[in-house]
Amino acid sequence: MLADGRLPTGGHTQSAGLEPAVRAGLGAGGDRLTDVAGYARDRLRTITRVEAAVAVVARHITVSAATAPRRGSRPDKWPATGDPRLSPADDATGTASRAAMSLGMVEAAWAARTPSQVMRGAARRQGRAYLRLAARVWPDVLRYLRNDTEVARPVVVGVIAGVTGLSAEQVARSVAHDDVQTVVSASLKLLPVDPADAASWLAGLHDDIERLVTDVASLTEIDKLPASGAPLLDVFAQNHADERMRLFHA
Amino acid sequence: MHDHSTRSFRLGIAGPVGTGKSSLIATVCSELSAELRLGVITNDIYTDEDARLLRSAGVLDPERIRAVETGACPHTAIRDDVTPNLIAVEDLERDFAPLDVVLVESGGDNLTATFSPALVDAQVFVLDVAGGGDVARKGGPGIARADLLVVNKTDLAPYVGVDVEQMVTDAEAARDGKPVLALSRNDPASVAQLKEWVLSMTNVVRSGEHTPVDPGPVAPHTHVDEDGQLITHTHAHAH
Ligand SMILES: Nc1nc2c(ncn2[C@@H]2O[C@H](COP(=O)(O)OP(=O)(O)OP(=O)(O)O)[C@@H](O)[C@H]2O)c(=O)[nH]1
Ligand SMILES: [Mg+2]
Repeated sequence: MLADGRLPTGGHTQSAGLEPAVRAGLGAGGDRLTDVAGYARDRLRTITRVEAAVAVVARHITVSAATAPRRGSRPDKWPATGDPRLSPADDATGTASRAAMSLGMVEAAWAARTPSQVMRGAARRQGRAYLRLAARVWPDVLRYLRNDTEVARPVVVGVIAGVTGLSAEQVARSVAHDDVQTVVSASLKLLPVDPADAASWLAGLHDDIERLVTDVASLTEIDKLPASGAPLLDVFAQNHADERMRLFHA
Repeated sequence: MHDHSTRSFRLGIAGPVGTGKSSLIATVCSELSAELRLGVITNDIYTDEDARLLRSAGVLDPERIRAVETGACPHTAIRDDVTPNLIAVEDLERDFAPLDVVLVESGGDNLTATFSPALVDAQVFVLDVAGGGDVARKGGPGIARADLLVVNKTDLAPYVGVDVEQMVTDAEAARDGKPVLALSRNDPASVAQLKEWVLSMTNVVRSGEHTPVDPGPVAPHTHVDEDGQLITHTHAHAH
């Protein structure tokens, strides 16, 4: 379900940065359409790699909290985290609230690796949409994150994966696949692309997606999160926010 | 989930491109902004044109008019995945609490585009005389079952060879007695009727007596069964 673009989380408003990149010349106005596949590959190596890694670590934190041995500490020993986006102490052992605190740290680590404030804003708005859906479909997510708050999408996706029993590989693959799918779907609206070509680009990126999965699936520590960026895409994203003519939010 | 004191009456405005949705919202704002606390969400297809048009019309505090991107999918945005719109409405309600009515303009689409009841409490479908006198007869879910059908720009009827009365009669026939309003922003009497409808609908929704109807993707239609009996129903299959 997580990898399905039809999930009602506002996916139709997203182009994974393709619209700003096209505006900056990607695809050469339709003369160099294979740029789109190259663009998706560049993201898999940079921005999407960070996002998938963040989701993997968020999943790890959630799974660890759910399986932690009960220590029997008093509930008031783990006070509210202070971050209104994270769920306050709500269980006898405080494991959920400790996990929430760690998730706050993952979110901060993601933010530090996402220099464009426009991209951060877009990812947090998407995370909010996922949280609203999760509140209805996977309400256990609310043990860790507060409903309807702006938490980066990869963190929310990681927590959803944690409470629904997805493996680290599955969540990494879902983030990577979703990103490529968002790029190629948006390309149909932005450039004169044959839909079958778009599908073959997606198929052609299979090995890149699996490489990403292998690289990030074993991560458990925040300090080990990759910090690979794509500064040009950050600049494009920043410019997009001031654009008047646009189809996609980001 | 919602705090009742900040929940507004959410009114959707749908209809094909250029039939006058933004102008109708501008009219409602200028007529009612003294009586009701209003907000507007636009679903522009390619630009923030509609939001800008409304802001520059000076009928409402520009900050109360917000645009939502639709990724070239105006239909999806008001029906299959209302999340971005719902978030925009709730944020507006929160930032300007309390609001009485939030008007949501759909991007101009085709005759099948209607709002999901998850997004709006009631909806207006806007046609115009310039689209041709037979559009009302063609029907569609918005025409048949929106809470109000507007036949707009009646002032243009003589120039486009449309008989407004006939168009309204056709529309009424398609709608089982639900209201149809012949409107022109240049005709004060019709504007007064529009104002009246919005006010009374606001009161009905507030009193909790209104259940949002879903115009649905397929209009109810009639056909003859094996025994020669007329049956009218709604369903999803094509025939
Ligand atoms: N003559 C006449 N023109 C009108 C009337 N209402 C709107 N118009 C004109 O119709 C045109 C389209 O109006 P809009 O309000 O922008 O229509 P819309 O449905 O919002 O258009 P989209 O958002 O692009 O689908 C504009 O040029 C308006 O000035 C009316 O009552 N009479
Ligand atoms: Mg408009």
